[in-house]
Amino acid sequence: MTHETNMTYSKFVKRWEEVVDIPPQTLGPLTPYYKKIVRRLKVMPWPELVFCSLVLAIGLYLLIGSAITFLVSLLQKGF
Amino acid sequence: MVDNFLVAIVSVARTSVGLIMRPYETYRRLTQKANLWEALSIWVILAIYFAAVSLVKTAAFLPFYLSRQFIVIFSASVGGYLLATVLLWVSARILGGKGSLRQVAVAWAYTLIPTLLWFWFAMLLWLILPPPRTTSVLGIGFSIVFIAISTAILFWKILLSYLVLRFGMRLDLLRISIAFAIVIPILTFYSVVMFRMGIFKVPFI
Repeated sequence: MTHETNMTYSKFVKRWEEVVDIPPQTLGPLTPYYKKIVRRLKVMPWPELVFCSLVLAIGLYLLIGSAITFLVSLLQKGF
Repeated sequence: MVDNFLVAIVSVARTSVGLIMRPYETYRRLTQKANLWEALSIWVILAIYFAAVSLVKTAAFLPFYLSRQFIVIFSASVGGYLLATVLLWVSARILGGKGSLRQVAVAWAYTLIPTLLWFWFAMLLWLILPPPRTTSVLGIGFSIVFIAISTAILFWKILLSYLVLRFGMRLDLLRISIAFAIVIPILTFYSVVMFRMGIFKVPFI
């Protein structure tokens, strides 16, 4: 084996050990859905996070109407 | 010591970018290293915010009041951090977790970055567009955007908190949920106490 091959192999082993260190998460019949969600959260989760947040914020406005401004006024003083 | 600190600051900056782009991979790596200098660096960054907020809240350059305000909010935040870290570690150990207190301490310190981001965001908006918001179209639009940004940051915080126990203590989703079901009521009680004492309106956890 060349030095380069050895390096690649040891990197692979290290990465493999990292991955198998924690058993994969299963949720019975819900496992495929869980994996689908997690796959989107693993790399650059912001489009999903922002989309869900916008839906939630608009939903909240539809639910409580202009009282949302009162809630935000309170939150703005919360720092 | 200064070298360690400077290296840790750079590492925190790089890791923070990782938390935005690739949270899972970044958490896996940072819990393996578990460098306490990084946790310390995060607290120095937090101290800068606490100094700024003391200035804004005191609204006068009175060294005694500024120092008192800074010490009170800094101590309350450290208290909340230590409480959360120890509670998470103990509950995770009870549930069969394998990580160390050091790993949880460093991992939990990184979850304070979304918290810090929201507090900066709220403070800067309070300075630029002070409340109350009106019920005009602009007021409602601003409110929806404010809630959406706050919720996105909250979701990020929840994701990172999950990763603390997933990679820091090697727990599965069910056990992580149980651990948080134990910890959240105690942290809520701590937050209520902080609120009653007039230290934090929104908990800095």
